[in-house]
Amino acid sequence: MHTQAKSKLREYLRTALDKHGDPHDFADEESLFLSGRLDSFSMMNLVVYLETEFSVDFSALDFDVNLVDSVNDIEALVDSIASR
Amino acid sequence: MTPSAAGASRSSDTSRLRRFLAIDEREAFIERAQTPLGQLAIALIALLAIAGHLGTWQAVLAVAAAMSAVIWTNARAAILFSATWLMAFLETGLGGNDTLDRITAVLHQEQLPDAAAIPLAIGWLLLVLLGSVVALQWVRRKPQSMLARRPLVTLLALEALLCGVASLSGVAGLPRAMLWSAVFVLTPYIWFLPYAIVDQRSRDPNSALTQLGTLRPFWSPSYLPFGKGAAFLRKSLSKTPAELAVTQLKAVKLLLWANALFALRDALIWLFNDTLQIPRLGDAIDAFVAGQPYALSTAWAALILSMAKLSLQIAMWAHLFIGIARLAGYRLPRGSWRPLESRTLMDYFNRFHYYFKELLVDFFFVPTFFKVFRNHQRLRMFFATFMAAGVGNALWHFVRDIDLISTLGLGAALETFSSYLVYSAVLATGVGLSQLRANLGHRPSATLAGRIYSFCFVWWFVTCLHIFGDASRDHTLGERTSFLVSLFGFI
Repeated sequence: MHTQAKSKLREYLRTALDKHGDPHDFADEESLFLSGRLDSFSMMNLVVYLETEFSVDFSALDFDVNLVDSVNDIEALVDSIASR
Repeated sequence: MTPSAAGASRSSDTSRLRRFLAIDEREAFIERAQTPLGQLAIALIALLAIAGHLGTWQAVLAVAAAMSAVIWTNARAAILFSATWLMAFLETGLGGNDTLDRITAVLHQEQLPDAAAIPLAIGWLLLVLLGSVVALQWVRRKPQSMLARRPLVTLLALEALLCGVASLSGVAGLPRAMLWSAVFVLTPYIWFLPYAIVDQRSRDPNSALTQLGTLRPFWSPSYLPFGKGAAFLRKSLSKTPAELAVTQLKAVKLLLWANALFALRDALIWLFNDTLQIPRLGDAIDAFVAGQPYALSTAWAALILSMAKLSLQIAMWAHLFIGIARLAGYRLPRGSWRPLESRTLMDYFNRFHYYFKELLVDFFFVPTFFKVFRNHQRLRMFFATFMAAGVGNALWHFVRDIDLISTLGLGAALETFSSYLVYSAVLATGVGLSQLRANLGHRPSATLAGRIYSFCFVWWFVTCLHIFGDASRDHTLGERTSFLVSLFGFI
């Protein structure tokens, strides 16, 4: 994932956390969904975002929350799809 | 004093109160909570806060298990498993749960001795435990099996099959009682097992012992997975002694808050139902149906009071369950988070009953979202929301009261459920539209007037809808609809 794309992703997640009333910062390896910082509806909005921005086809994947739980997880997912 | 000065003073009082209550943010408390004396104080306060609601032995078991899990961290999985299943077997053996009442009702129908209820329940509970072990192993070995890919659908199909066989006209006596007992014992686990099965298929699954320990965990022996499954719990586990101390202090606060809500509920009942003679909602509908309706203001008061009691009931039990889980070190979000501050129906759905919403999203919204209308984003979001807030919601409540099929028959059970179906459909449509509006960028106004409008709209909507969602099955859809219309003076 390009640096620019990653910072855009972080910006997206920052906005989602703000909407959730969570002003705290987050590290790239930090769990966002399984830790409860973001809820399942936020996860679905993220899915739409990733489908639109990174052309991730989730229907071709066996979806699991671990795939998108942190910035690092999302980066690994996007990179693995790009390398196919 | 000027209005602005008065406002500032009120705000200052509020923040002073907040600061006073924020013991989980004060270093002195956090340090003391980590000492043996601090741990003892936390355990004792928790015990007192829980015992009056869960029962004495259940409270002792829950607090002992929670505190043991944070002391002997290496044995956490074993403690979780032992406490969870000890609670389940003891509750059943001592005759302390609704499963036994349901089995007893079927035994009566079949003219069999009541005494058979406990052995039947214990036997099936043992089979559910063994079946869960086998199911988790099966899923690990066969990740592409139906059970692994669609755990909830498979379990619901199993439940439907058992109900179907038990309802056959040729099945009677002990076989019928045994089949229905199996259904009653299995039913609550249908909503827990899918989390364990999904986790088994993940890249880094929890141990089977941990998974089994989260099937109706000792902190919430209910039909709803408070704390979701083992994967969610593992991520939310406190990592440092200071973090654990903060989590346990938050637990104590939440348990005390739950008690305050219990007291508030009792006070509302005493003041409005007992002293001011405001009827219960069911009685108000009964009176309307009998042609002797209460005055409009009294009928509205009955409705609003019923909604207030429901909101308090959801919050106080959720706080109690999550409080115990926090005591065990899990930094879980609250089960009900300031629902009065909901700005939209979507927001209300999120705040009112968080773990119910999460269950519906995880097992109804997500699968639908990935399957249908992928090229029509708005329709996709609306339909998936409808599947969760409507179909999932209705299904959960219907399955929860599955014993009605055994006592009334399928047709009558469905008939008494018709008003809840309408409730689910209208709620789902409202939440779906609210979700769409949010995605289109509509935000409720942040001004005072905007906040008041949002509050009035959300709570007016859900309070009116509550007439149909009321848990009793005593009134028909037509009676409830007429009662609602009468509240606006049209009948």
